[in-house]
Amino acid sequence: MAQEIYFRHSLRVNDYLCKGCTTCMRTCPTAAIRIRDGKAVISDNKCVDCGECIKACPHKAIYIKQDDFGRLFNYRYRVCLVPTAFIGQFDTKYKTKAIYSCLLKLGFTHIYEVEHEVARMIELYNRYMDDHPEITTFISPYCPAVTRLIQVRFPSLVDNIIHVRAPLELASRMITKKLVDEGARRESIGVFYVTPCAAKIAAVKYPVSGKDTYVSGVINMDFLYNKVMLMLHDSDKNAQPINHKLNSRDVQWSLAGGEAPHFRGYHYAVDGLSNVLQFLEKLEDETVDAPGLVEMRICDQGCVGGVLTTNNRFVARKRLEYRARLFERLERSNLRETPSDDEPLTDEMIDVMTIPEIKPRSILKLNDDFAEAFKMAERMKTIEKALPGVNCSACGAPSCAALAEDIVRGEASIDTCIFINRHSQASENAIHSIWGDRVKTKETNNDK
Amino acid sequence: MHYTFNIERGNFTDAGQASSSVKRTLKQLGVNPADIKRTVVALFEAEINAVAHAYGGTIDVDIDGQKIVMVVADQGPGIPDLNLAMQEGWSTASPQVREMGYGAGMGLPNIKKNTDDLKIDTKVGVGTTVTMTVYLA
Repeated sequence: MAQEIYFRHSLRVNDYLCKGCTTCMRTCPTAAIRIRDGKAVISDNKCVDCGECIKACPHKAIYIKQDDFGRLFNYRYRVCLVPTAFIGQFDTKYKTKAIYSCLLKLGFTHIYEVEHEVARMIELYNRYMDDHPEITTFISPYCPAVTRLIQVRFPSLVDNIIHVRAPLELASRMITKKLVDEGARRESIGVFYVTPCAAKIAAVKYPVSGKDTYVSGVINMDFLYNKVMLMLHDSDKNAQPINHKLNSRDVQWSLAGGEAPHFRGYHYAVDGLSNVLQFLEKLEDETVDAPGLVEMRICDQGCVGGVLTTNNRFVARKRLEYRARLFERLERSNLRETPSDDEPLTDEMIDVMTIPEIKPRSILKLNDDFAEAFKMAERMKTIEKALPGVNCSACGAPSCAALAEDIVRGEASIDTCIFINRHSQASENAIHSIWGDRVKTKETNNDK
Repeated sequence: MHYTFNIERGNFTDAGQASSSVKRTLKQLGVNPADIKRTVVALFEAEINAVAHAYGGTIDVDIDGQKIVMVVADQGPGIPDLNLAMQEGWSTASPQVREMGYGAGMGLPNIKKNTDDLKIDTKVGVGTTVTMTVYLA
């Protein structure tokens, strides 16, 4: 059955390394993974790019496709959009300036800190909240995996998301505009974002807003970390970002709890996949009363917990907090200039940053036709009763409930359940169809 | 489609399983979010009422093409004055229950607001049966 694909992803399964061990499948919060022919297969419409499967995979068989670093040199102006989470990967004995000088050595011509846009993000959020007094609970759009999770699993909450794009979209515009103003041609400017996770790549490449982006490419944070680490010990140069200095608020923005406290009224900070799921569930049922702004991050501790980070998230968090405290101390004793929020929000920026619509993309709905969906749901209930309920995953689905759903959707057969089939001749064949050749080899050995 | 759940007295932590399970089915059917929301809110309120006041009971949910019928039947003290109980802010909940954030006297009024049809049969000393119907848009 040909299905319309709403989402595209940067997550890939390396079939050579994948053992079909079911670990990723059982971890996936949207039940997007199945094992077919002994290999993990990710469903495009169900996947939200949270990266839990990458973290869970014991064979490193799931990876994030990144842009070829060599593409950098197709551009005359090569801008590195750096989030502070990247700086958090390095020991505080290394100065930010030294890290930036390594980036220049690697081939970038300009450095721009994404969190420079924080002041304008706050204003954009506040404007949106003021414009929508009918909404009680607002959900921050910061984590793109949360937005997608809401679209597929909690479609009734899509209107609670603040319809504003990510700060990197504004940052890429600002830097492009600045360079064009200085005489550069638009085509000669390449803006590359250093990403801590898979969700941000998907958000840049296949945006929910449907609008175009000024980001030319995305570089995985772990890749760049390794490159910089090799050069850092003998780096003596000092490089400055072209944006104005960040303040302590900006530095901590990507951390869990870094965003919410800067808004008036009640605010909540929820981080970690299971916490996010639980909170959204309650919000949907209205069994939790949460007026105000809810900041949600799929990764524990926020972006420093991203799947492409290299250092422990608690350590990285502490490092960013240390830098923030240092800035505050220096500013208090006038050793550092207090950064001012220089550029005001313009109508053009508001226009660029607004998401016109976030569409609900329910993955739970069995059929568009109610009568048909009803029949399917009834059948599913009957099948579920027949299944053993042990969620062994041997059928290639994460749970008995998921297998029941696959069966009514016509994507699997009940024969694949090894419990139902334990006395039947067909069971071996069924296991073949799921697990592929390895079982066949065993059978041949038995025959001998 | 029929669902049955048990209600355990005083178990606020597990309350909400019935509404979660019904919610999942309604999502699978593609019922519009507004109807899902009011069904879940009404069912949860009725369940909490039984958990807070009664000595246990059952929830029966029937879903067909046009409507959702939810029957919450408990063995409990019953409601002596139904008119009073239907008033917003009226509650006989114990201080312990109130401390948990419940017992604001909004339960029954909230159920009435969220359902299309509400029937309450109650007998003091025997129990209460709340029958709620939501018609699907």
